[in-house]
Order: sequence, then structure tokens, then C-alpha cells
Amino acid sequence: MRNVVEIFAALAVLVATPALAAPPEKPLATLFKNPQCGCCESYAAYLRENGYEVKVEATNDLALIKQRQGIPQELGGCHTTFVGGYYVDGHVPIGSFDRLLAERPELNGITLPGMPAGSPGMGGTKSSPFTIFALAQGGERSVYAVE
Amino acid sequence: MAMKIAKLSRRGFLAGGGAVAVTGTAALFMQRGGSVMAGSAVRGPVDMRLRASPATVPLLGNAQGGVDVWVYNGQVAAPEIRIRQGERLRVTLDNGLAQDTTIHWHGLRVPNAMDGVPHLTQDPVRPGQSFTYDFVPQDAGTFWYHPHHRSFEQVARGLYAPLIVEERDPIVVDRDITWMLDDWRIGADGQINDDFGNPSDAFMSGRVGNTMTINGRPPQPFVVRSGERIRLRLINAANARIFALDFSRLNPQIIALDGQPVAPHEVDGALHIAPGMRIDLILDPEGAPGSRVTIGDSFYEGLEFALTDVVYSDTPLRADPLTTPIALPPNPIPEPQTETSTRHEVVFGGGMMGPSATGKMDWTVNGVAASGHNLDPVLTLPRGESVILTLRNETAWWHPIHLHGHSFRVLSRNGKPTRYREWQDTVLIAPDEIVEVAFVADNPGDWMFHCHILEHQAAGMMATVRVT
Repeated sequence: MRNVVEIFAALAVLVATPALAAPPEKPLATLFKNPQCGCCESYAAYLRENGYEVKVEATNDLALIKQRQGIPQELGGCHTTFVGGYYVDGHVPIGSFDRLLAERPELNGITLPGMPAGSPGMGGTKSSPFTIFALAQGGERSVYAVE
Repeated sequence: MAMKIAKLSRRGFLAGGGAVAVTGTAALFMQRGGSVMAGSAVRGPVDMRLRASPATVPLLGNAQGGVDVWVYNGQVAAPEIRIRQGERLRVTLDNGLAQDTTIHWHGLRVPNAMDGVPHLTQDPVRPGQSFTYDFVPQDAGTFWYHPHHRSFEQVARGLYAPLIVEERDPIVVDRDITWMLDDWRIGADGQINDDFGNPSDAFMSGRVGNTMTINGRPPQPFVVRSGERIRLRLINAANARIFALDFSRLNPQIIALDGQPVAPHEVDGALHIAPGMRIDLILDPEGAPGSRVTIGDSFYEGLEFALTDVVYSDTPLRADPLTTPIALPPNPIPEPQTETSTRHEVVFGGGMMGPSATGKMDWTVNGVAASGHNLDPVLTLPRGESVILTLRNETAWWHPIHLHGHSFRVLSRNGKPTRYREWQDTVLIAPDEIVEVAFVADNPGDWMFHCHILEHQAAGMMATVRVT
């Protein structure tokens, strides 16, 4: 129990404060993933290719982490990344990822639901545009981008 | 003390660094947690009632306050039922829950009407209603019982307990102990998190918890005496957690798998025990009085943890370990005629990162994602026929595949014959692995054949096999 609370406390800090020790342009991204999921590692590599320092943390508490952030089950992606005071859930393409951190909107985070083929780290062929959702602090959802 | 699964560094893990505090070694001897309270078992022949109902118990230890659970007769992982082979088991289930339930006698080759599968072998037992299970177990061994209705919730909330069928002529041991392993997803409020059926669990590794218990209690140091012989019956009651346990410093020998005797053999590496599985070990601890050994788990890479510590009492029991035989007498299972067997193939698909026959992430058996228990059979087998099933895991995830009403011999893995041709009822299949199993379809009826990661089962990895 105590350590569960500690995890939540650590997450709260991650969300509340932009990573101070990160390189000047790109903040540190911390990616929580199922220990047995391979595509999440590919997404971490994708973020690194795009200039982010990425710390990968295996956890069996992904469902709890998403729930704690208020990410609705039907909008959840595979892994959960915390970066610059936001969460980015699932295989969000770098355009939206970068824009979130550049514009710093009043949001909790953004998510690409599920694991659509052709999304970064997933492999396969993209069959239709990806709809990326934004989740505000009150839980309101909106379309953040279609790309 | 609630034992949250603590990360261990690999160095600490290999060194057996203890993560469990010990208080008063001598006082802990024979206590629950390390061992089942022998006096608490219900002994056979059994004619009893089991009431499934909500309760509040000190699941995480007395200091943590009560946790709301669903249990049989008021306790998690209890009552342990112990009968002798050949004795009758008669149990009336009283449903004190607000939803339907049943009891499935996992691993026992029971008559179909006693198998406890709602809509398939019986009507669900409605809230406030009762159902009587009555049969004579054929096989001696380590079994367990749990609901088969919404098992992903009902088992996760605590409805399960051991069912031990003792041999008519048992082997000699100093202690016969059951460890019913489970993990729980405890939220920030200290209660069971109610996110049952969420897709993150369903299409990945299932509902793996964050808090361990043994026999419904936080793991306590397990006190042993040098020179004693222990029969340790491991049962994995978790929804989804696979264990890879290190007993190597306790001279472990496997004597039974899934309740069925196997030629006694030493453990090769970590002991893999997946949901639904049982492993009977003989331990001959020979450590120095006062020393300790950590039982570590290494299944999930990067999430290794200490399950519990074994602590040697100051007083050895005997100088040299027992040398009496530990091989168990065989159970009366018909031997499949593998030369003349009919062959069938069963393919498991779906999940995250996997090609899916349905175009979604649903788990499938031969291309079909099940949505309930009453299904068209994936196989129809004439009664008495010897069959070999080739089980192909075409997913990126592990699956413990459980067949009801029968035990099967595991013949090969990826084309390589198994050394012990072990009998199992729940066979763990690695990603992309191909396993051959053989059995005689001698028990008539429609039988469940499903993944025992209960979220995978609920999300489609479930089928039936009909024996006519």
C-alpha cells in the first residue's frame, strides 16, 4: 500500500512539474509500459529519434496509472508517457507530441486510443487518419488533431 | 505489513537479499502465511455448505484496516477442503452475492453436471439460491475451487480455496503445506480497484496485481528446520500473474504438476507457475540454523521481487535428510494411445501486437472470439477416443490453457519431446510456442477449454470441447 501511494505521489510530481533537469529544448519523457509489450519499446525509440530523452519504466499497474490520470478506458492507448507536465497516451505521432509541448495548452494530456496499425512504433499500414483526443482537467474531451 | 511488490536490484535479487522483516523467529513457527493452519482444514468425507458473500478482512495485515472482499464462509483462500482419495465430497453452495455464481472444481475429473460452468453444465446459481455439488473425486492431488461466472471479478475479489485429495497411502513428510498464491490490485484507497474488464488488462497480460498474498494474508517469513521434509503445494489463484519462483536453495523436487504425479525431478531453473496451475514440491532444507533464504520471483523483466523469506529455526530436526521414497502413486487416468490418436489443431490468436481473425484485438480460439459459455464446440470427440491436440499460440502473450473434465499428457514443446510427459490440466504456452498434448476423451459432456488468464478468457479466449 505504502508504495502504491508513493507511485502516485511520484506521478503527481511528474505531472505537476516540467522536468527541470532535461535538455533545454526537449523535456525528459518517462514512458510506463507493460513489461511484456514490445511495441512500446519501438515507440520509445521513435521519441529518441525525434530528440527526446526517454526513460522506460516497466509496470503491471498501467491500468491504475491511466485511471489515476482520468483517461477513459475507451480512449486509452497502450503505454503512458509523462512529459513536460502532460501525459501522452499511446502511439501519438510526433507532430502532436511536439505541438503539445510547444503550445502548452490547458490540458491534462492527449491520447491516441488503441494501437492503430501504421502508428509510430506499431508497424503495419495506416488505413485511415488517426484521431488524437485531448483531455481537459475537468475530464472534457475534444479532438486534438487528425493526422 | 502489506507487502507491496518491491523492486529488487538484480544484485540484491541474486544475493537473496531479504526484503521481508522478521520478528521473533521462534514465535512464528507453524504460523499461517508460512503454512496453512492444519487445524483449519475441513476434513473428509465432506458434507458442508459454502456461502459466497461479501466480507471485510485484514487482507493486507492487521495494521492496514479491512479490505472489502468476496469470500467463501468469511475468509479468503478458505476453507481448505481435505479429503482422502475415494471419499465423497458434498458441498452446498449458498449464493450470498448480489450476482450469479457457481463453483468449478479446478482439475478434478468430475461428472459434467458437477463442473460448475454456468449456462453450459448448470443454470447459474442466482442471488439467494443454492446448488449442491456431489461427487467422489477420482484423483489424489492438489486442486482448487472457484466460481466460473464472471470469474475475472469473482476470483479477483477473493472467491477461491484449496481442495486437497490425499493419497490413500501418502508419502512420508514432516509437514504438508499449501501456499495459495494471489496478487491483488489495490488502489490508493487501500481497497480492491474495481476496474474489472478494462482493455489495458484484457488485451495485454491480464489483471496483474500490485500486492501479494499467500493463503489470503501478506507473505510472512516461512520458518523451517534443517533436515525436515516438507511437501509444499503451490496453487496459483491469481487472475493473470505468472510466477517464476526460485526455490533452488531448498533442494526442491517436483513430485506433481496440476495435481497429477510426475517422476520426481529437480527443478531446472525458476519454477514457472501460471494462473490455475499447481505444483507439488518436496523441500529438504539443509541450511544452517538461523540462516535465511529469499524466495524471489523473476517472471516480469525489470519487476523482480521477493515473495517471502525462508528462515531456519535454531533447532535442526535431523542431521541428514530423509531418504524415504517421494514418488506418488499414479492416478487412474486412461493412457492415450498416441500411435493411433486422432489429431486436431487448435490455434490461439488475437491480443495486442497480434494478428486477429476478427479484425479487432479480441482473443480467439480457431478464429472465433467467444462471448459466453454456451458455445458451438470447437472439437467434437467420440467417447473413448485417444486424441492429440496441437496447440499453437499465435499471439505475442503467454497463455495457460485449461481443459475441463480431463487431464492431458504434455507430449512436446516446439517439436521437442517433453522429458516427463507430464499430466496437466492447465498448460502454459509461450508466445509463438507450439505444444502437443494427448488424452483419452473419456468423460462425456461439453467441457470448457480456455485461457486461465481470466481477462483473456472474458475477452474471447474460450471454447468448448464436446465428448459424445
